Amino acid sequence: MGRMSTVDDPRESLEFLQGTLEVLILRSLQIAPNHAYGISQFIRQQSENEFVVDNGSLYPALQRLLQREWISGEWKMSPNGRRARYYKLSALGRKQLAKSQSEWRRFVQAMSRILEPQQ
Amino acid sequence: MMREWWAKVRQAWSRRRNLADLRDEIEAHLEFAREDNEARGMTSEQARREAARQVGNKTLLEENAREAWVFPRLESLWQDLRYAARGFRKSPAFTVSTIVTLALGIGVNTAIFSVVYAVLLRPLPYPASERLVWLGESTGKAAGISVTWLNFEHWRAENRSFEDLAAYHTGDFTLTGRGDAVLTHAGLVTSAFFKLTGSRPLFGKLFSTEDERFGAAPVVVVGYEFWAHNLGANPNILGTTLDLNGTAYQVVGVLAPGPKFLNRPFDLCLPLGPHEDRLDRGRHGSTRVLGLLKPGVTLAAARADLDQIMRRLDVSDPSTEKGHDAYGEYLIETRTGEIRPTLMLLMGAVLLVLLLACANVSNLLLARSTERVREFAIRSAIGAGRARLARQLFSETLLLTFAGGAVGVAVAAVCLRVLQHTAPSDIPRLSEVSLDVTVLAFACAVTLLAGLIAGMAPVNSASNLDLTRALKEGAPGAGSGRRREALGRLLVAGEVGVTVVLAFAAGLLVRSLLIAQTAYPGFDADHVLALELQLPPGAYTNGDAAERFYFNLKEKLRREPGVEAVGSVNCPPSAGDCGDWWYSVPGRAVPSREDVPLTLTNIADADYFRTMHIPLKAGRDFSDADRAGAAPVAIVNDTLARRWWHSPGEAIGQEIKLGGPYNKGPLLQIIAVAGDVSQLGLDTIPEPEMYSPFSQNRSGAMVVMMRTAGEPESLARAVRRDVASLDRNIPIQSLKPFRSWLAAPLARRRFSTLLLGVFAALAFVLAGVGIYGVLNYWVRARQREIAVRLALGAQSSRVLAWAGSHIGRLLASGMIAGLAASWAVSRWLSSLVFQVSPRSPSMLLLALAAVIFIAALAAAMPFWRAVHTDVVGNLHDF
Repeated sequence: MGRMSTVDDPRESLEFLQGTLEVLILRSLQIAPNHAYGISQFIRQQSENEFVVDNGSLYPALQRLLQREWISGEWKMSPNGRRARYYKLSALGRKQLAKSQSEWRRFVQAMSRILEPQQ
Repeated sequence: MMREWWAKVRQAWSRRRNLADLRDEIEAHLEFAREDNEARGMTSEQARREAARQVGNKTLLEENAREAWVFPRLESLWQDLRYAARGFRKSPAFTVSTIVTLALGIGVNTAIFSVVYAVLLRPLPYPASERLVWLGESTGKAAGISVTWLNFEHWRAENRSFEDLAAYHTGDFTLTGRGDAVLTHAGLVTSAFFKLTGSRPLFGKLFSTEDERFGAAPVVVVGYEFWAHNLGANPNILGTTLDLNGTAYQVVGVLAPGPKFLNRPFDLCLPLGPHEDRLDRGRHGSTRVLGLLKPGVTLAAARADLDQIMRRLDVSDPSTEKGHDAYGEYLIETRTGEIRPTLMLLMGAVLLVLLLACANVSNLLLARSTERVREFAIRSAIGAGRARLARQLFSETLLLTFAGGAVGVAVAAVCLRVLQHTAPSDIPRLSEVSLDVTVLAFACAVTLLAGLIAGMAPVNSASNLDLTRALKEGAPGAGSGRRREALGRLLVAGEVGVTVVLAFAAGLLVRSLLIAQTAYPGFDADHVLALELQLPPGAYTNGDAAERFYFNLKEKLRREPGVEAVGSVNCPPSAGDCGDWWYSVPGRAVPSREDVPLTLTNIADADYFRTMHIPLKAGRDFSDADRAGAAPVAIVNDTLARRWWHSPGEAIGQEIKLGGPYNKGPLLQIIAVAGDVSQLGLDTIPEPEMYSPFSQNRSGAMVVMMRTAGEPESLARAVRRDVASLDRNIPIQSLKPFRSWLAAPLARRRFSTLLLGVFAALAFVLAGVGIYGVLNYWVRARQREIAVRLALGAQSSRVLAWAGSHIGRLLASGMIAGLAASWAVSRWLSSLVFQVSPRSPSMLLLALAAVIFIAALAAAMPFWRAVHTDVVGNLHDF
């Protein structure tokens, strides 16, 4: 899917694993509805600049989530008086997020058991 | 994912709005980024530029997001198709010729397939029709002869292979007492017959086994058509009686309209049961048996089962019939066995025509793709992959072939209508032919196949494109020119081969038809009017009455002005086999049971041979002296006489025994040998035949022949009047010039020959077009070379010889392939040709000559162009 860009960071880029960008979007919307720019800022800040979301991946991902009805979009005024499309997590999306989180947990545990076995 | 897929479909209608939303959103994004940058202390100009850099290429962003809305593969196909359609509109000549070629190929295939499907493949319209079999008896010599009643009863009671067996035969009954006498076609059937053929009553009931009992009250079930058309669709018909051959039958039911069992539907059904003359195991009538196999039982096993019953009967009831076996075939084969080779031949022919059409289209596409070499080179230079190019070519071909297919179905509909109007009526189920789902599916498959075959060569040559050369040279013919030429040559050689095969087959059939049509029938068929009569048995039960009637009728007819002679016969030439029987010649070696010879049997009166101008090779005509009670006599035909004696004269006075050595039958003295006539049709070889005198073998069914001075038709009215003046109740079966009797059996041959001729003509046109195309291209690609040669002083004849040797090599290889294929195909033709060897060398030569002629025609234009090459113009272009 997307690729982590290294605009501000000299280190090697990390690639998003298949489908992870969608989960990150869902997670960012769990806190509050947000617009596309806000979502990308949230992911970047939360990952401490490890993930820089490429807009070329962000927008298609948002479209896919809309089509699956995991999120919905609505035009609203931002606090600083700008018209923006705010995305909101749907009930379906909430369920999907919970599922993805538990899957992720299992995935990480399995990976680390292999990569960093405790003797 | 269903939800996502559905959303894409829904979004197809609101894409414009979605796009506007997306653009607004990206604008907003840009603004947010700029504000953030300003907040971090950049100048407004710096912030704007930095934001733009962060957002990136807006158009690409839109593109990426939009991909989520669509089906990329489908859309690119759609794009290809639209692009192709634009291209086709720009070259209408190419488009029209391709579509017409394909439509012809697909159209004739669909039409012939619809006939093949309806006649040969579609299951018969009966319940469990795939298990229905037709049963008869067989001797060593004859298979499928009638089953005697006694054998049938044993089969029915003792078999272990059939769910049910039904016996049936047909009979003609005259219905009287309801206006004019009507001759009806009745089926005498056992009650199981209705069950096996899925017949149901419209009202009333069908027979039960009770009605089959000997001595049961006579009852009749009326067929729907007959009830509707001849009995006034009378709803109160039940309980009334029909007088059939003088016996009153009570109507117990009317059949619902349904599938017809035979080509000619039964008007009436009468119960078939044991009868005093059916209790002799050797007494054959015309009864056949219909059986429904138990599921899983093969026909062979069932026959073995019945054979066992026959063996037991041979022991318990030793009769003259010892050694008969059961004979059976699947009903669908019985119904269509005869027409099968003809239809398969036609199907093969149209498939070849389709191949030709594909080859031509392939050639057209090749030529076009060669002209587009630059276009492809450019597209591939800016990044179109080979697969992408191939896909585009295929979508173009598909678009073309499906346009061709659609027009082809229309062509098929027209062809079918013509077929149904011109085909002889004795092809079973022809009226049921239609362009139904199966046929349309076939058309689709053929179209797809045609597209794949035709598209293969161009795609193959395009994906082997030499990019650099194509871009540099750019002229038509550059790049893949050589390769394209080799492919084109191969295609044309193939076309020539296929055309040779079709021309050869069509030539054989046309020659056969011509021979048959002009064959001497053995008599003078012109100026003869034939009156076919069948006296109702009720009023004419004894022979005296029939003899008196025919005597009076002939007297009356002879007195009509314009009638020169009147004679009558039971089974006129070309009417087929009206009966045959075993015979033997006393004093000669007694043949084994399997080898007893058969002769056709016929009845003629004393004036027949004279009236028809059938020559008597030896002996005397029948005379009034050959009465019932006098010594029984016979006239045999030349073929029979030659089989036993050296000359016709030797046969006179000899005797033949009817029935052969193992069956009862009279001893007949041969009084004359008559010339052979085309008894089984003009396209047959004469069989042994024997005539007995009408006066000794009186029949109610005779065809009265009148030799007329003028046109036979002019007498028809007088003849009808004469018949009616003798007996109003006699239905006239037919009254027509004898020529039409002769023509009738040839109708099928004429039909298949005509069709094959049309297909061969189509092949000629296609091959001609193909040769023209390849040669034309060849000349165009060598225009400069020719110009140089001419400029250096070459004669036109040299140029011609050069081009000629090119086409000559092509033709030769095609013709050699065609000859080999013709040789292989001739095996299948042997059942369809008449008096021509299916490997006739002269026909092969004729086919080759025809192909060379077509090639010469097709080559004329390109050759002319080659010789008239504009030398100066071409040299300037260097």
